Amino acid sequence: MSDLHLVMHGLAVKKLASAKAVADLLALDEATVAGHLDALVRDKKALAARQAFMLTPDAQNELKASYATIYANLRSNEQFTAAYERFEIVNRDLKQLVTEWQTMEVAGESVPNDHSNPEWDARCIDKLGALHERCEGFLADFAGVVPRFGAYAKRLEAALDKVEAGEPAYFSAPKLDSYHTVWFEMHEDLLRLLGRTRDE
Amino acid sequence: MSDALTISLASGASAPRERIGNKAYSVARMAALGLRVPPAFVITTDACKAYFEAGEKLPGGLMAEVRARVGELEQRLDRTFARGPRPLLLSVRSGAPISMPGMMDTVLNLGIDDGVEAALAAESGAPGFARDTHRRFLEMFARIVLRATLPDLPADQGPGRWREIVEKAAGRPCPSDPWESLELAIAAVFASFHSRRARKYREHNGIAHDMGTAVTVQAMVFGNLDERSGTGVLFSRNPLTGDPAPYGEYLPRAQGEDVVSGTRDPLPLETLRTQLPEVHAELLEAASKLEHQERDIQDIEFTVQKGVLYLLQTRIAKRSPRAAARHAVAFASAGLIEQSEALARVTSDQVRTLLRPRLAESAAEGATAIAKGEPAGPGVGQGIIVTDSDEAERRHAAGEAVVLARATTSPEDIHGMLAADAVVTETGGATSHAAVVSRALARPCVVGCGACVEALAGRTVTVDGDRGVIYEGRLPLHHPEEDDDADLRLLREWAEPLAPLRVLRAGEDPAAEAGAFTVPDEAIEDERPALVARLAGHERVRGAVIETHAGIAAAFEAGVKTVIVRRRLPAILSSIEAKRASGS
Repeated sequence: MSDLHLVMHGLAVKKLASAKAVADLLALDEATVAGHLDALVRDKKALAARQAFMLTPDAQNELKASYATIYANLRSNEQFTAAYERFEIVNRDLKQLVTEWQTMEVAGESVPNDHSNPEWDARCIDKLGALHERCEGFLADFAGVVPRFGAYAKRLEAALDKVEAGEPAYFSAPKLDSYHTVWFEMHEDLLRLLGRTRDE
Repeated sequence: MSDALTISLASGASAPRERIGNKAYSVARMAALGLRVPPAFVITTDACKAYFEAGEKLPGGLMAEVRARVGELEQRLDRTFARGPRPLLLSVRSGAPISMPGMMDTVLNLGIDDGVEAALAAESGAPGFARDTHRRFLEMFARIVLRATLPDLPADQGPGRWREIVEKAAGRPCPSDPWESLELAIAAVFASFHSRRARKYREHNGIAHDMGTAVTVQAMVFGNLDERSGTGVLFSRNPLTGDPAPYGEYLPRAQGEDVVSGTRDPLPLETLRTQLPEVHAELLEAASKLEHQERDIQDIEFTVQKGVLYLLQTRIAKRSPRAAARHAVAFASAGLIEQSEALARVTSDQVRTLLRPRLAESAAEGATAIAKGEPAGPGVGQGIIVTDSDEAERRHAAGEAVVLARATTSPEDIHGMLAADAVVTETGGATSHAAVVSRALARPCVVGCGACVEALAGRTVTVDGDRGVIYEGRLPLHHPEEDDDADLRLLREWAEPLAPLRVLRAGEDPAAEAGAFTVPDEAIEDERPALVARLAGHERVRGAVIETHAGIAAAFEAGVKTVIVRRRLPAILSSIEAKRASGS
C-alpha cells in the first residue's frame, strides 16, 4: 500500500488530528505526513481546521472499501490473527481495569474514584503494569508482521512509565496520549485492518 | 529453629517489618491484638537475599523448614496438607517491607488435586464448590506462577482437560506434587522482586534493590463447610454515609469468591447476629479494636469456619465523599486524629462532588422518563439534545446548555463531550469509550439506552447519571450549600486559618470585590503555565476557572492574594493542597 493510503488510514484512526499525531501513530516522518495531508486537502479528501485534519465522509467510505483488498494477506496471516485473539482477551481486562481505575466499589455501590485511597490506586497501577507485561508477546507479534505496530508498543510503555512515575492522568485521560487513548487507537487500527467490528 | 529462614505468625510474635514484609506484619499485628487469623508463617527477606546470592536458587534447608512449618499449621487446624479426609490448602503471597508494583499476586488454594477435590466435596457437601476451587487454583497457578496467557478455563469441563489446557498455554505442566507447586510459588515470589516493573519502581523511588521480599504462607479457611460457616466483609463504619454504625455483609455457607463473583447476593450483617450471635459480637469488637489502632475506617474480610471467626485481612476502607467528610470530622472531634489530619483526609474534589447539583427531592415523581440505560458517569446534567459533536461545540460556545446523544462515541467526539453537560449513547456498557471518557471529563453519562438518538434529538432533557434515566424537560435541581452541612462548616472552620490565600464568597464583601480581575471563561481551556501567566500580577481574581481546583492552584502559584468564589470550602482546600504540593 502507498504512504498516502497509510496516512488516510492513520487519520481515520485518529479521526481529528495534527500531522505530528498522525506521524507518531504511523511511525512516519512528520514532514512526509504533512505533505500527504496537504495533498488530501487539495483533493477534497480531508478537511483542515485549527492545525487538525479530518477525512471527508466520502474519503472515509473509499478507505473502508479498500481495506479488504489491501489487507487480504494480513487477514489470512496466522501470526497476526492469533496475536489479535490474544489481544481480545486482554482487551476485556483492560476495559474492566480502566473502569476500576475510574470507579471504585464502596459497599456494593460504585462511586467515582477520587484518588483518595492510595492503596486502591496503587493496586490499579500494579494491575496495569501486569497487564502490559501480558501484552508484550502479541505486541511483538503485531510488529513482527506490521513493523509500524512497534510504535504502539513504545507509546503504551511510555504511558505506563508516566503512570508509574507519578503522573496518573496517563492512565486514561482522553486528551493525553494515555494508556487508554493509545490502546483505543490500536484497537481501532486493528479492527480496520482485519475488517472486524467493535464489540462494546 | 534458630537462624531460621521462617517465622511463625501464631501469636503475633513480633519481628521487624524489614524481615517479614508488609503483609505478614499486618497479620502479626492482628494476632497481637488478640484477634484470630488463619494460622500462617512467613519466609523472611533473608531467604530472598540468599536466593539471589545463590543465582536464583532457594537456599538449602528452606524447604525442610517450610515442611516443618506446614506441619505446625496441620497440627493447629487438625488437617493435612494436600490430603484428605480433612485437607489443608494454602495461600502464598508476596510481601516486601515496602509495597511496590510488579510483585507476584496471591495464589490461593494451593494443594488441591483430584483426591483433595473429592475430600473437599465430601466435607462441604458441595461438589460444585470443590470442582470450582480446583479450576480457580489451576487458573491462578498457570497465570501467576507459570506466567501463561491463559483463557478462562471452561467451567463445564474437568480437571484433566484443564491441566491439558494449562500445559499447552504454559509450555510446561502444573506439577502433580503439591510440595513442588509450593516450591515453585515461593521461588516465583522471590523472582518477582527483580521483575522489570519492581526494579523500575525502586529506581523511581530510591529504594534499595537488596531489600528483598518475604513470602507469607497461610492456611485457607472455608466458609462453606456447614451451616455454622460463612464469609463476609465488615466496615468499621458505613463507607457510604460515614455513619458510625458498623456496616457489613454476610453470606452463610459460602466462600469469598461467591461474594466477589456476584453469583450469590450477600445478606445484611444482621443475618450473622441472628445465626451466630457470639461470632457477631466478636467481629464488632475486633472492628472497633482495629479502627482504634489504625485510626481510620477499616474494611475487614472475614470467614467463619464451623462457628469460629477468622479475620483474613484489614485495610483502610475506600469511601464515598460523604463518608470522607463525616468520618474525618467525627475522628477529629473524638480526639483520635488531629484537625490537620482530618483536613488531609478530605480532598477539595470530594467537597466539590458533595456540592454538585442533584435532582430535587421527589423531582422524579411524575416526571416522564423518555429513555433508560446503564448509569456510567454520575451527576445530573440538563440541556437540549444534539446528535453531532461539532454542533454541540458550536451551540455550547453560543451559550446554550447541550446534551450529546450518539449511537456510540469515539475519539472524534471528545470536543463534543467536553461541550456537553451530559452524554447519552445507544449502545455500550460501563466500560465503553463513552463511559470511560465521560468519567474522565466528569460528565454525567448514561449508556446503552437502545435506539433513542433520533427520538431524543432537539428535546430538552434532564440526564440522571446516577440512575441511568433521561427525563423529559428540566426537572427542578437541588443545589447543596456548605452552610447547610454541619460537617462542611466544621471543616471550613478548621481549614480557613491554613489557607495560603484569602477566599471570599461572592457577594460577601462588595468593597473587596470592586476592581477584582474577572478571568475570561475561555481560560478554562488553558494549560497550567498559560493560566498562571494570565493571573500573574493580579491581587484579586474571580471567574469560572477560579471555581476549579486548577484555577486555585494556578492562583496560588501566580501569587494572587484573594480569590472570590461561589463556594468557599473547595477553594480553601484546593489552596491548601496546592501549597502542600509545592512543598512549602
